[in-house]
Amino acid sequence: MVEYDRSQSPEGASSAAPRICIVGIGGAGSNVVDRITLDRIVDATLVCAHTDVRVLGHSMAPVKVQLGAELMKGIGAGGDPDLGREAALFSRDQIRQSIENHDIIFISAGLGGGTGSGAAPVIAEIAKNTGALVLVVATMPFSFEGRRRLAQAEEALELLQKRADALVLFENNRMGELILPKDGIQKAFNQADQLIAQSLRAISTITTTPGLVKLGLDDLTSALANANGRCLFGFGEARGQNRGTEALKKALKSPLIDSGRLLHQTKNLLVHVAGGESLTLVEVEGVMKQLGRHVPDQTHILFGVGVDAKLGDAVAVTLISSLGLNQLNAHATAAPPSEMLQPRAEAPAHVPTPAPGPKREAPAKKAPSAYAPPVESPPDLLFKSEEFAAVPVAGDAFPLNSLQAEASKVPVQPQPLLQEQPVAQIEDEHPFIDEPAPPVIASAPVFAPAPVYAPAPVIAATPETAHIPVRTPAARELADAARSSKESTLAAVVARSVTLQTEAAPAPDDLISFDEAESESETTTISATAVVARKSTADSQQTFSLGEEDRGRFKDTEPSIVQGEDLDVPTWMRLKKKLRR
Amino acid sequence: MAKSTIYAGLEIGTHKICVVVGEAKRDGAIKILGVGQAPSRGVRKGEIVDFEKVQTCVNDALVRAEDRSDVMIRNVFLGVTGAHIESLNNRGRHRLPDEQTEIGEDDVEEAKEIARSVSIPQSNVFLHSVTRQYIVDGQEAVRQPIGREGRVLEADYHIIHGVRGRVQNAIRCVREIPLEVEDVVFNPVAAAQVVLTREAKMQGALMIDFGAGTCDYVLYEDGMITASGCVPLGGDHITNDVSMALQIPNGRAERLKVEEGSVLYDEVPEGEMLSIEDDTGLILGEVERAFLNEVMNLRTKEILIQVRVRVEDHLGRLGAGIYLTGGVSMMKGVDVVAREVFGIKVTRAGSAPVSGITATFENPQYSAPIGLIRYAQILDSEKPFLSPLKRLGRRMQELLSSVTL
Repeated sequence: MVEYDRSQSPEGASSAAPRICIVGIGGAGSNVVDRITLDRIVDATLVCAHTDVRVLGHSMAPVKVQLGAELMKGIGAGGDPDLGREAALFSRDQIRQSIENHDIIFISAGLGGGTGSGAAPVIAEIAKNTGALVLVVATMPFSFEGRRRLAQAEEALELLQKRADALVLFENNRMGELILPKDGIQKAFNQADQLIAQSLRAISTITTTPGLVKLGLDDLTSALANANGRCLFGFGEARGQNRGTEALKKALKSPLIDSGRLLHQTKNLLVHVAGGESLTLVEVEGVMKQLGRHVPDQTHILFGVGVDAKLGDAVAVTLISSLGLNQLNAHATAAPPSEMLQPRAEAPAHVPTPAPGPKREAPAKKAPSAYAPPVESPPDLLFKSEEFAAVPVAGDAFPLNSLQAEASKVPVQPQPLLQEQPVAQIEDEHPFIDEPAPPVIASAPVFAPAPVYAPAPVIAATPETAHIPVRTPAARELADAARSSKESTLAAVVARSVTLQTEAAPAPDDLISFDEAESESETTTISATAVVARKSTADSQQTFSLGEEDRGRFKDTEPSIVQGEDLDVPTWMRLKKKLRR
Repeated sequence: MAKSTIYAGLEIGTHKICVVVGEAKRDGAIKILGVGQAPSRGVRKGEIVDFEKVQTCVNDALVRAEDRSDVMIRNVFLGVTGAHIESLNNRGRHRLPDEQTEIGEDDVEEAKEIARSVSIPQSNVFLHSVTRQYIVDGQEAVRQPIGREGRVLEADYHIIHGVRGRVQNAIRCVREIPLEVEDVVFNPVAAAQVVLTREAKMQGALMIDFGAGTCDYVLYEDGMITASGCVPLGGDHITNDVSMALQIPNGRAERLKVEEGSVLYDEVPEGEMLSIEDDTGLILGEVERAFLNEVMNLRTKEILIQVRVRVEDHLGRLGAGIYLTGGVSMMKGVDVVAREVFGIKVTRAGSAPVSGITATFENPQYSAPIGLIRYAQILDSEKPFLSPLKRLGRRMQELLSSVTL
C-alpha cells in the first residue's frame, strides 16, 4: 500500500513536471534518440550511449556516453553482447551520472547486436537503482539477421523484463514487411525509428500529462501485458472538421495495427484521446464508437481523455496494445485481406475471456505484475558494486516514484469526466440557482439543513444534466424570455408536465435519499456527500449515452446537437429542466 | 417571337412532395402550368430515409402534375436540403501577366478556378458556386470585368457544398422513378429567386424558408448572395413539442397546430379553453389556449434564434428586412416572433412574379418548387446558346459520362 503524501499540496504535485530521460543504446537506440532530438517532440534529457566512438560523434544527442572507453578503445562491440555488457559495467559511474535525478527513464535499444543487447540490461538496472521509473522500448531483429542474433535478443529481452517497469517491444520484421518493397532500406529503418520515437512521445505524454480521465502507468502495463507480446501502436493527429474520426483513421493506419485488423485479437487496448480546449464529448464518443467496430466486445478498453492546450484545435488519438508473437505471425502470414472479417468472428475462440476483474481496484499491485520482477525474488544482479549493495534491491517494493504513486492513488474511475462536467456547470449557473421556478421552491425547505450543498444533489440527481452545457447566450435569452413574462403559463407547463411525466421520479427520489442521509449523520457535510455518492453510483452507466432524453418522433433521427443541447428534445422540456435547478 | 421552354421542379419536402410544371418565356416571365402534390412519407428533416415510400409519393405527385399541365415530365430540377449542407465565401486572386493590361476571358476563368479551389471536406461535393462579384485592383462590386484595365483580378465566390453521399442518394431515388435530374439545387437558393425581388436583394434581405423538416435561409447583401444554410429544425418540431406537451398523437397535434395554434400567447384571455377532438369527433380533453400557444412560441423562437446565430454578422445591413416563406410562415403570429428575434422588418411572402394558377403561387408553401423553375430559367439564360443538334450531342456526352461514373 502506498501512502498518500499529505504534506504535499495537490497544486505543488501537479506543477512539478516529471523529469524525463531518454537513453538510446547501441546503433538502433541512438538512431531513435537522434530522431527525437531532431523532432524536438519530448521535453526530456536525451542521452546516447554507445561503444563506438564514430557513432557517438555523429549522434545529435546533447549527452553522450562512451561505453568502456579503456576496454573497447572506441571500437564497437562487434555483435558480442558479453563485450557490450563488460563495456557498460566499466562506465557505470558515467552512466549513472548522466541519467540520475530523473523520474522516468526511457531506454531505447535494438536487441540482437552487441551493444544494444549487452549494455541495455545493465543500464536498465542502473536506472532502476536511481529510483526512477524504467520503461524499455526495444526492437527485435529482422529475421534475415540470423538465428544467432535472435537468440541474443531473446536472452537480452529476458534480462530486461526483470528490470524494467514496462517493456514496449517492436518487431522489426513486421515493420519491414509493411513498407513497400521498392522503398530503400534507409526508408525502412527511418520509418521504424519514427514509429518508435512517436510511441515514446505518446507514452510519456499519456502517463505524465494530467487528464480528465487519466491513464496511468498501470493502464499502460496492463495494455502491454502479454506473454512474449509485441507492441501494437498507432498514433494519429488531425484538425478541422471530423478531426476526431480523422485522427482515429490515421492511428489505425499505423503499420503496426494493420488498419485495425490486428486489434481483433487483443485482450487489452489502451486508447487515449487528447485535444485542445475545444475537444467535445461528442467527438470523444464518436471516436470510441468508431473504434468499437474494430475491437471485439470482450476487449478491455482502457480509456483516457486529456486536454492539452498545446494541441490547439487538433485532436490526437493514441492506441496501444499488445499481441503475442505467435498470434501476430499467424495473422501476418495467414490473413489475406479478403478474409478481413474472419478473425473477428473467430476472435472469441482464441481470446480467453479477458480478465473481467475490476482491474482498477489494485493498480499498484498490477503494475509490477506485468513485467517487473516480484519483490520476493530479486533479479540476478549483473554486477555487484558496493553502493548498489547498500541500496537493497528490495527497493523494488516501492518502484513507483511519487509520480506514479499519485497516479495510482487517485482512483481512476470511469466516470470522472462526466462527473466533472456537471460540477463545472453548477458553478457557471449559480446565479440561476438563486431564482428557482415555483415548483422547486416548494421543495426548498427540505434542503434547508444543508444550504451549501443543496443545489448539488439536485443537479447530480438528473442524469441528463450532463448534456446541457454552460448556457449559451442564445439559450439564455430564450430562458430569460420565458422567465420574464410574468403571467407566463410556463409555470403551468412545468406543473403539468410533472404530472404528465411518469418518469419525473428523480425529484422525490432525491429528497428521500437526502432525508435518509440526514437521519444517519449529524454533520451536513457528510450527508451531502452521501447523497452525491449514492447518486453517482446509480448514474454511472447512463452518463455516456446521449439518446436517453425524450425526443418523441425524432427518436431515430440524427440528433441536431447545437452547443451540447439536443434540439430535437422539446424546447419546453429543456427549459423546464433549466428552470428547475 | 418569344420561344418558351417548359421546366419541371421537384421538391421532396418533409411534409409534402411537390412537382411544379412551368413555362419560362424568353422575356423572363413564368407561367405555372400545373402543380402536383402528395403528402410526403419517408422524409425526415429534409432528407430521404425511405426510398420506396418516397418514390411512391413522388409518383403520385408526378401523375397529378402531368394530368393538370398536360405535359410529359422526363427531366426535373431537384431541390435538396438537409443539415449537411453548408456554405462559405471564398476569393480567388489572379495577377495578370506583366505584359497584359486588359482583363480577358482567360483571366476571369483563372480567378474563378482559384476561388473554387477551396478545401471542403473530402466527402463533400459542390452544390453551387455562385459568383458574387469581381474585384479589380481593389475596386469592389464589378459585375463584368472582361475588357477592363487592371492588374489584379479577384473573383468572390459563394460556395454551397453538401455531403456527397446524401446528395447522391436523393438523385438516385429520383432516377429510379425514373426521372432524369437536370440539376440539383439547394432549396432556399431556388426559393429566393421568386420570393426576393431584385430590389430586396440589392437592399439586403434574409429569406427564411420555414418548412416542416428544416428551416433554410439565404441572405443577400448588395444584390449578392452572402450566406446560406439549413437549420435542421422545422414545423415538425413544433408539432412534436405540442404532441408531447399535451400528450396527444402527432396527427392530432399537427391539426391542432394548423387550425387553432398561434405563437402569440400574451393576448390570449386567461382560461380560454380549447377542446381536443379525436377523428370521430369525440372530445378527448381540453387544453388552455395560452398553454398551447406558449409551447409553440418557445419552439418557434428557438428555431429562429438558431437561424439568427448563423447570420449574426450580416444582420446590420438588411435594408429590406426578413422574408418569411415556407409552410410554417403561415402560422399565426410567426412574423411577430420573427420581429422580436431579429429586430427588423419582417414580411411574409410567397412567390411573386409568376402567372398561371393564381391560388398556387401565392401560397408560401410553393416558394421553393416555383423557385426551381425560375432557377432553371436563369441557368439556361446564362448558358451560351446551343443549336438543338449540339444540345443533343451534349446530352449524349453527359449520359455517357454519367454511366461511367
